[in-house]
Amino acid sequence: MNALKMVGEFYFSQLIGQSIYDKAGNRFGRVKDIAVRWDGVYPRVIGVKYANKIHNLIPFEWIVLRDNDRVELVETFTVDQTVPLHENDIYASKWLLDKQIIDIKGSKMVRVNDIILSWVVQDGKQHMVLVAVDIGVRGLFRRLGLEFFFTKFKQNWLILEFIKPLESWNSHLQLNRLKQQLTELHPADIAELIEEMDYKRRANFIENLDDQQAIDTLAELNLDTQVEIIEQMDAQRASDILEEMAPDEAADILGELPAEKSEGLLQLMESDDAEDVRELMQYEQGTAGALMTNEFIAFSSHLTTEEAINQLRELSPTAETIYYLYVMDDDEHLQGVLSLRELIVAAPQTTLKELMHTKVAVVQDEDNYQKVAEVINKYSLLAVPVVDEQNVMVGIVTVDDILDILMPERGKLDTYSWFALTKTAGRGR
Amino acid sequence: MNAIKNMRKRLGLFLAVMGPGIVTAFADNDAGGIATYAAAGAKYGYGLLFVVLISSICLAIAQEISARTGAVTGRGLSDLIRELFGVKWTFFAMSVLLIANIGTTASEFSGIATSFEMFGVSRYIAVPIMAFLIWWLVLKADYGKIEKVFLVLCATFLSYVISGVIIDPPWGEVFAASITPTFSPNADFLIMAIGVIGTTITPWGQFYVQASIVDKGITAEDYKYTFWDVMFGAFFTWLIAFFIIVATAATLYANNIDIETVKDAALALKPMAGEYASLLFSFGLLGASMLAAFILPLSTAYAVCEALGFESGVSKTYKEAPAFFGLYTALIVIGAGLVLWPDLSLYQVMITSQVVNGTLLPPILIFMVLIANNKNIMGNYVNPAWYNVISWTFTVVLILLTLLLLASTLMPDFMENLVKYLGL
Repeated sequence: MNALKMVGEFYFSQLIGQSIYDKAGNRFGRVKDIAVRWDGVYPRVIGVKYANKIHNLIPFEWIVLRDNDRVELVETFTVDQTVPLHENDIYASKWLLDKQIIDIKGSKMVRVNDIILSWVVQDGKQHMVLVAVDIGVRGLFRRLGLEFFFTKFKQNWLILEFIKPLESWNSHLQLNRLKQQLTELHPADIAELIEEMDYKRRANFIENLDDQQAIDTLAELNLDTQVEIIEQMDAQRASDILEEMAPDEAADILGELPAEKSEGLLQLMESDDAEDVRELMQYEQGTAGALMTNEFIAFSSHLTTEEAINQLRELSPTAETIYYLYVMDDDEHLQGVLSLRELIVAAPQTTLKELMHTKVAVVQDEDNYQKVAEVINKYSLLAVPVVDEQNVMVGIVTVDDILDILMPERGKLDTYSWFALTKTAGRGR
Repeated sequence: MNAIKNMRKRLGLFLAVMGPGIVTAFADNDAGGIATYAAAGAKYGYGLLFVVLISSICLAIAQEISARTGAVTGRGLSDLIRELFGVKWTFFAMSVLLIANIGTTASEFSGIATSFEMFGVSRYIAVPIMAFLIWWLVLKADYGKIEKVFLVLCATFLSYVISGVIIDPPWGEVFAASITPTFSPNADFLIMAIGVIGTTITPWGQFYVQASIVDKGITAEDYKYTFWDVMFGAFFTWLIAFFIIVATAATLYANNIDIETVKDAALALKPMAGEYASLLFSFGLLGASMLAAFILPLSTAYAVCEALGFESGVSKTYKEAPAFFGLYTALIVIGAGLVLWPDLSLYQVMITSQVVNGTLLPPILIFMVLIANNKNIMGNYVNPAWYNVISWTFTVVLILLTLLLLASTLMPDFMENLVKYLGL
């Protein structure tokens, strides 16, 4: 491919609404919109919509732009010269202008105020391509014809590779490109973007994520959004994702769904994953039992440190935290705890029984979250073990689980709180 | 146990969807609303009951359109205006919203000032303190709990209903007046009529109801619940307005007392509360005004920023979202500042702001109806034809009323002659 040669940039807003003149100087239409096709590096302009309700385009090759933004045709205008809109083409204003898009670089939603076009020369032919969008104040006021008030503001352009439009483009090439783009975002950033989207775009957006991304992203979302997304998702995919999530989170989500729906999803899940989740769903909201995860690392006290490390290698991928290793007897009674550091630095043949601390801070499964927070705070723990009445260890509550409850993020919704306005208000919390 | 849990959940889901319509109804009966209805009753007796009925029906329709659009698209009104009509129209719509809401904010602060003055606190002390308190609570604190207190205070306006029942007006006459069209082309009557419409159906109420529907994540499937929520809200608005007019008509109009300050409206509560009437009234007024003052500047700032693509959110810093915080602060400062203008009648501020709202309503209605008619946006939930007939008729009538008001204010003689000429 020949190198692209830039020959000058200008704004979509300069072009739109301009009268179009034919060779003889007669005005016969206006630039209503431009259609672009994306088959190369950049989407290129292929035609101009010249009147309302006429969807045939004037091919862009026929058009010359004069200095003072005057738009002329190289030929006399006849209707047969116009071409229909191809199915892979899209109108720039329908695709981008005034739309919300994702700024991949800043990982936030922004609004497109103007579009930046540029002439390029490729293989000896001149094309006009779409290179960037304007998301700044200047773009906004340029549209109003008031840019001169804002010349001391910096231009705020976002180049094409950092744009993720929410309006999907229906060609495969572009779908793959979008998927590729999304892998560059951190799940926490994706989560933040999803929170800002409406429910339709959300569903669309999540479909573009692969399963692992969807799981990581879902884990970062707040419960209401999680519930909404799972509720709208295809049941098979929802159950696959729930299987892979931490059981405590899966239980929280399923607990908010209508009974039939959650039962249906549990049936679709693999039986041992479903069992873990069902166990957690027994507990009342806000108790240690409901907060905890039942995936934790526990060893028998007879093991040596070497054996324990070997076992850990196998277990660690699924457990939420591996910094605390719990020691249990054969009936799963909690006996002691040791840290990962203690395990690693100890001599290989030491038994865990010799190494462990026997004074363990625990909470009961029926304790409320304030109590859990108190214990975690008092003993400066990263996670606290949860036991039932028989002192059988049933799970752990990690510090981030408790932080989520203590420090709810203040969303836009709170603006509209009034009384029954929060989504959770009716859910008995 | 499980059955009870399920019941609670189902009821819960229902309650979770309920809200936006009812809340907007509460907000419609804010300081300006009380003042306008009371003035209408005191000045024209039962004469404006017909206008109240019609504007409540139109409120139901307008709110229904906004709520349906919100549920189907999942997007706010300002967002849709921007995407469908471009920058210029968006600027126009946002300017309309800003002017109307500055007026309404001023009217809320008038309500706050009035209720404090009834306790003998000067407005020059009360308004700045409350303005700062509102600003601070919304941005820095968790105001969700505090606002419930004010919501309870609002409920005191239900006492108009009780008062109206105790008065026991000639119900036959009242109901006849409710369904008999009354019209008079003089400026005073037009002001009152547009004021009543403007306080019942507000531009900000349309933005607000749609935004809260979207934020609650209500989908097209949940919409059947929301429909009833909206209908109930409109009915509630009508109920309160109806009884305020009945109570003031029976106590003030019947005895030829004209309302000069909002405090006079408290007289209509005498039949029920006796000597505590003004106490009850001032609590109610404070609650209603504070509630609206909490929500109004903030929802305006959100709507404008959403449309123009500025960053917004109370959890952001000033540096991240300067336009949002600037707008929010400016609305409170200007709204409160207007009330502190020397020798300004608080009562006039309240009424005038409702008239401003009424005259600015048509453009917003036009945008709403155009959007609700767009098949690409609304799909199967597009406006039915008979709905459009009502919406457009109402919009045109409102525009005509506004023009008439303009004409009768600028050229009263011409209007009088016109009336004579037409033999009205």
